[in-house]
Amino acid sequence: MTLLLIASLFLPLFPLSVVLNGALTKLRHPAAASALLLVWPQLGVGLLQLAPHAVPPYVVPWALLTSGLYALRLLTVRDMGRWAGFLATSGLALTWALAAAGADLADLHLFAFWFSLPPALMALLVHPLTRRFGAAYAGLQGGGVARLPRLSGALVVTVLAAVATPPFPGFFGLLRVLHALDWAGAAAGLAIWLVWGWAATKLLQGFLFGAGRNAPGADIGRAPTLAFAGMLGAFIAAGLYLTGGGL
Amino acid sequence: MDKLTILLPATPLLSALLIALRADLPRRSVARLSVGFSVLTLLLAAASLALYLVEGQPQWASFGPGWGSLYLDPLTSVMSLMVAGISLVVHVYSVRYMAEEPGYARFYLLLDLMAMAILLMVAAGDLVTLLVAWHLIGVLLYFLLGHDTTRPAAQRYAFWTFLTYRLGDLPLVLAAVMLYDTYGTVALPTLFERIAAAPDAHTLAGLPVLGVVALLVALAAFARSAQFPLHTWLPYTMEGPTPVSALMHAGIVNAGGFIINRFAPVFVHAGGVLHLVFAVGLVTAILGSILMLTQNDIKKSLGYSTMGQMGFMFVEVGVGAFSLAIYHLIAHGLFKGTLFLGAGGVIGNARKHDGVPHDDVYTFVVERKPLAPRLPWVLAAAITVVVPFLVLGASRWLMGGDSVGEQGGIILLFFGWVTGAQLLFATYRLRVDSPWRVMAMIILSLIIVVAGYTLIEHGFDLFLYPDRELSERIYAAASLPLATFEVLVMILTAAIVVGWLATYYAAANGRTGRGDASPLRLAFYSLISREFYVADVYAWLTQATLGLSRRLNVWSRWV
Repeated sequence: MTLLLIASLFLPLFPLSVVLNGALTKLRHPAAASALLLVWPQLGVGLLQLAPHAVPPYVVPWALLTSGLYALRLLTVRDMGRWAGFLATSGLALTWALAAAGADLADLHLFAFWFSLPPALMALLVHPLTRRFGAAYAGLQGGGVARLPRLSGALVVTVLAAVATPPFPGFFGLLRVLHALDWAGAAAGLAIWLVWGWAATKLLQGFLFGAGRNAPGADIGRAPTLAFAGMLGAFIAAGLYLTGGGL
Repeated sequence: MDKLTILLPATPLLSALLIALRADLPRRSVARLSVGFSVLTLLLAAASLALYLVEGQPQWASFGPGWGSLYLDPLTSVMSLMVAGISLVVHVYSVRYMAEEPGYARFYLLLDLMAMAILLMVAAGDLVTLLVAWHLIGVLLYFLLGHDTTRPAAQRYAFWTFLTYRLGDLPLVLAAVMLYDTYGTVALPTLFERIAAAPDAHTLAGLPVLGVVALLVALAAFARSAQFPLHTWLPYTMEGPTPVSALMHAGIVNAGGFIINRFAPVFVHAGGVLHLVFAVGLVTAILGSILMLTQNDIKKSLGYSTMGQMGFMFVEVGVGAFSLAIYHLIAHGLFKGTLFLGAGGVIGNARKHDGVPHDDVYTFVVERKPLAPRLPWVLAAAITVVVPFLVLGASRWLMGGDSVGEQGGIILLFFGWVTGAQLLFATYRLRVDSPWRVMAMIILSLIIVVAGYTLIEHGFDLFLYPDRELSERIYAAASLPLATFEVLVMILTAAIVVGWLATYYAAANGRTGRGDASPLRLAFYSLISREFYVADVYAWLTQATLGLSRRLNVWSRWV
C-alpha cells in the first residue's frame, strides 16, 4: 500500500497533488516545468507496476473527486503556467480509473503521456508570452489573434489538445476511461470533460480576443511554429495509431 | 463508390490544409481556392448520390483498426448533397461579404474544416468517427461565430453555443460507450444488425439499454437543434458573420434530426422516448413561434423562427415520420439559408425608407384612400376551417391512408390544418380590391404546395427507408394508446374550430387587442420579452459556478 500511496503523489490525488503543483509554481524555467510535467506521471505509472497490491476500488471515486476539483478550479485560474499544472493534475488523476480496471502497463504509460504532453507544451508557451507581455496572464492584454497570429495559433491548438478535443489522443484516452468506469463514474468523467472545455474557452478568450492595448510585439518565428505544428501533428498520428479509437 | 465516399470529407480538408500552408496568398486567391474545392465537393456529392441510385446498396468502408469508417446509405448521400450545396452557397457569398474583414484566410480555413466535419458526421460508419465529427462541429462553430475577435458580444454568444454543444456531446458519448459495452462493436451496420437480433437482451438498472440509449441520443439532438430549454444560444448566433449564421441555421442546427434518423433502429425499440421527443418538439415549436413574434430585429426573429422549425422537425420525428423530418430539414435549410443571406439587403432597404407602417389608419389619414372590402367573416371563417381540412384530407387519401403512419399522419394533418388556416386568415385581413380572386389564388397555391409536399415526402420516404417494415415499426413505436389519441384529437379539433371562429369574430369587429392591456397580458408580454428568463437562469448558474471556483482557489491558494 505504501507504494500505491507514493504513486498517488506522482499520479496526483488530492491532497498529495499539492507537491506537483507546488513544484510547478517554484520552477521558474518553462523547460524545467515542461520536463517535470512529462516525467512525473511516468514515475507514478512505474510505481504502480512495482506495487504488490491491485488498486483498491475506493481510489476511483477519490481520483474522480481530485479531477473534478482541479477542473472546477481551472475555471478561474488566469496564469497559464498554473492552468497547465491544474489541467495536468485533473487529467492524470484519471489514470487511476484505468489502473483500477486492470489496463496493462503500456496503456497506462500512454494515457499518462496523452495527458501530460499538451500541458508540457503549454508550459513552454509561457515563455514567449512572458517575454512579450511580462506575464502569461489571461485577460491582461488580449487581442493575440490580430497581433500575434502564429503564437495564437500554437496556443489554440495546444489548448485544444490539452482538453481532450478529437482527434487528439486525449479524447480517445478519455473514451477508454469512460469505458472502464461504471455509469455514474462515466457521467462524472463527462462532466469533468465539460468543465475542461469551459475553462479552455475562458483561457483562450483572455489571450486571443479583444483589442490589444499595447503596440504589437514580434510574433514567434516560422521555425518554432512549424516545430509546434509538427509535434502536435505527430501527437495526433501517434494517438490515432496507438489508441485504435479508444473503445 | 468507396473512393468517392472518402473524397467527400477529404476534399474540404485538403482545401483547409492548402490555405493553412499558404496563408500569405492574396485574398482573391484564397477565396478562389476554397470556392473551387467547394464546387468539387458538390460535384463529388452529386456523383456519390448518382452512384448510389445506380448501385442501390449501402456500402461500409473502414480505414483503421476498428474505427475510421464511412457508411454510404440513402441518408448519407442525401445529406451530403445538401451540406455540399449549402456550403458552396455560403463560400460564394462570403467572397465579397467578408472581403473587408480581417482574418479572411482564417475564415475560409474554418469554413472548409466545418464542411469537412459535417460531411464526416453524415458519412460516419462507426460510433467513434461519429463522435469525433460531432464534437469537432461544436469546436469549429465556436471559432467561426467568434470570428470577429474584437467584439465581446461575438465571443459571449460563441461561448454559449460552444457550451450547449458540449452539453449535447456528453449524452452521445455516453450512448456510444453504452452501445459498445452492450453489443461489442462500434461499426454501425453490425451494431444495427445485433440490435435487431437482440433488442431486449440487456438491461441497465432494470431499464432496457436501448431505451436509455435512445433517450441519450434524443438529449444530444435536443441540445444540437435548440430544443427548449437548450435553445438560448440559437437566436444569438447572429452575432457571428452573416454567412456563418446562414450555415448555422440552414445546416448545422439540423444535426438533431439527422442523428435521430441515423439511430432509427434504436428508436424502433423506444416508443416512450419518441413521445418525449414529440412533447419537447411541440413545446419548442410553440415557444419559438411566440418568441419570434416579439422580436424587432430581423435576424433574431429568423433565429426564433428556426427554433420553431426545429420544434416542428422534432414533432415529425416524434410521430414516427423520420423521413419527413429529413425532408423538412432540407426544405427549411434551403429557404432559411436564403433568408439569412438576404437579411442584410432587407436591413439596407429598411434604412433607406421611412418605415412607417401602412396600416388602416395610415392609409386613411395619409393616403386618403377608402378601405378595400373584405369577405364576410362567417364565410371566411368557414373557408378557413374547411378548405385546408379538405385539401389535406384529399392529398392523404390520394397517397393511401398509410403513407405517413396512421396516428402520425393525423397529427401532421392538424399542423397542416392550422398552418393553412393561418394563411387564409392572413388573406382575409388584407385589404385588397378583389378579395375573392386573392382567396382563390391562395387556395390554389395551398393545393399545389400540399400536393407537392405530400408527393415528394412519399418519394423521400421510399428512398430513405426502402425497408418498409422498419418504417412501419417506427410509426408503430411512435403511436399513442388509441383511447388517449382519440380524446386528444377531439379536444384539439374543438379547440381549433372554436379558436378560429373567435379570431375571425374579433377581427371582423375590430377587437384585435387594441384596447388597454390587462395586467395579465402585460405580465405575459414581459415574460416573452425576457425570453422566459431561461438565459437569466443560465447566467445565474454560471456565476454561481464561477463563484465556487474562485472560493476554492482562494481557500487552497497555489495547491
